[in-house]
Amino acid sequence: MSRVALVLRKDLLVLRRSPLLLSLLIVYPLLVAGLVGLVAGYGSSKPRVALVDEDHLPPVVRIGGREFRISDAIDEVGKNVHLVRMSAGEAARQLRAGRVVATLTVPQGFLRELKTGLTSPSLVYQTIHGGISSRVTQQVQALVYTLNRRVQQAFVGTDLRYVQLILHGGDTTFGGKTYHVLGLDRMHDLLVRLPKSRERDRVAEFARIAGVALGQTGNLLASTANPIALERAPEKSRSSLLSAQVQAYALALTITFLALLLAAGALAAERDENAIGRLARGLVSLGELVWAKIALAAVVALALGLAIAVVFGVIVEAGGVVGGEPWVRLPLLAVGLLLAGASLGALGSLLGALAREARTASLVAVLVVMPIVFLGLVPKQVVPAAGWISDALPFAHAVRYFSSSLYDARPWATVVRELAWLAGLGAVFGLGARLATRRLLA
Amino acid sequence: MSRAESVLRARGVARRFGAQIALEPTDLDIAAGETVALIGPNGAGKSTLLSILAGSLEPSAGTVERVDGIRVGWVPQRPSLYDRLTARENLELFARLERERQPSAVAGELLSMFELPPDRPSASLSVGNRQRLNVAIALLGSPRVLLLDEPTASLDPGQRRRLWEMVSGATVVFSTQNLEEIGLYASRVAVLQRGRLTFDGPVGEYERVHAAEVFT
Repeated sequence: MSRVALVLRKDLLVLRRSPLLLSLLIVYPLLVAGLVGLVAGYGSSKPRVALVDEDHLPPVVRIGGREFRISDAIDEVGKNVHLVRMSAGEAARQLRAGRVVATLTVPQGFLRELKTGLTSPSLVYQTIHGGISSRVTQQVQALVYTLNRRVQQAFVGTDLRYVQLILHGGDTTFGGKTYHVLGLDRMHDLLVRLPKSRERDRVAEFARIAGVALGQTGNLLASTANPIALERAPEKSRSSLLSAQVQAYALALTITFLALLLAAGALAAERDENAIGRLARGLVSLGELVWAKIALAAVVALALGLAIAVVFGVIVEAGGVVGGEPWVRLPLLAVGLLLAGASLGALGSLLGALAREARTASLVAVLVVMPIVFLGLVPKQVVPAAGWISDALPFAHAVRYFSSSLYDARPWATVVRELAWLAGLGAVFGLGARLATRRLLA
Repeated sequence: MSRAESVLRARGVARRFGAQIALEPTDLDIAAGETVALIGPNGAGKSTLLSILAGSLEPSAGTVERVDGIRVGWVPQRPSLYDRLTARENLELFARLERERQPSAVAGELLSMFELPPDRPSASLSVGNRQRLNVAIALLGSPRVLLLDEPTASLDPGQRRRLWEMVSGATVVFSTQNLEEIGLYASRVAVLQRGRLTFDGPVGEYERVHAAEVFT
């Protein structure tokens, strides 16, 4: 067994003998994965919204001569929001108690106003303040959008029937009386039978042009009702879920915390235990010692990262989140975990060598983690300097790698680029750690 | 002492810690079979010189030569071992690093020889047992020269006697504040004062001429 492997095995044994630290290492990723799973579950859960029907809408509504079912429109929205019918008083109580996140009221006279088409009736929407309100508002807006489209289709259909009547003629009922309409086609036929005159030709020409123009009315009305249609493009990613990003951040945050802490503490502990002097006598070179700590961080990052991914995947599968967990990508994820752990381990070793004492090194590592993570969260487009600094640290590259390796349909370009970054940063920090480790002998 | 008889040679070794001079340029030859006592007041540079001879500390200047690449065992003043490992695990780890062919067997022999509890974490051992484990680790790899930095400081008289019995026959350089040990075990004395080697000679000459001056 190589000297690096011997020191690594010793460090893993020491880790196993540290019950508190070991518990933290087991509980921490489970906790993070659980929280991430909850967030993912929240992302796909249906907020409960109260529907107060003060107008007593019938199951089937007839608008513009066309019937449509209100419940169908509600069901369509119900895919994203759980609409619960209740009285106005009960809705107000449940909103105050937080049992519903919003109330949607259909006021009295809503349907009458809608049928006349003279004024636009309103639905009254009330929601709580908080993180979820914007999401519920979007869902309610989607409901109104759906209703509007259906009503528009009904009105357009009615208008088109009148146009057809004017064009081709026929019987129609209005105000309880039945009327016979001649229609432009038959009007033209009748006109051409009349004695030829300049006036007859002018009226016949008008009837022909009016017929052609009204023939285009259908398309025009349809395009006026929906000038812009929203069409969903085919997805390029395996999943566009929020949970994909959350999982990538959870993995990166966990291994950043653990790899930095372990590598920094383990290297400085060699001095605390006075072992480095004995090792440096030719038993283990300083370079090999740094390698052992990098390997320790990489191995622990791999084990815990995979544990998080598996726990997260189980939660995702159990929660029925759309897209599910990409199990076949775990080997690709493992490569990234190993290299990200090594790169962070090199940075941790540098911190440990500079701090010299295990307690100081651990404290420094903990203090350094948060700025590294927050820098990684700031978009480069917003604060370019934060992006540059973040590029010089492994966290942001680990996030991009994990996200791409798990969820991109074609991850290879990103994966190779981020692996190169992680390897390069690991080499730089490792070299720095090797040079700084001389301080531990003094 | 002739150069040919030396197994360990220091030439002009010196050490600075920042602006502080811990050891001025020093020459020292250790011959096979001799037991050299390194004495001097606290802060005189004894541990620094032994660490440089052991190879655990790089000198700021000068060189250390191990004749024919002989192996050197080192017992630092503060035990150098892993607290969370047991005595057996510490011995087996260092035995493997020292390339012992049968690390488990060698560890077992040393545990028996030093009467150490094998399976308790080293952190829970008594001060005396930790020091014995510290010495036992130094004996791994069959070193021809032993460098002992105040090895008996935390041992009771019986343990001191047993320690000297165990290392007898090897070439030994030891630092001590216990002047009785000089007469009992040393064949030669080297005196360090304020980082400078002020005497290097036989025990008899030291006792006759310098003993009264060293610690005044």
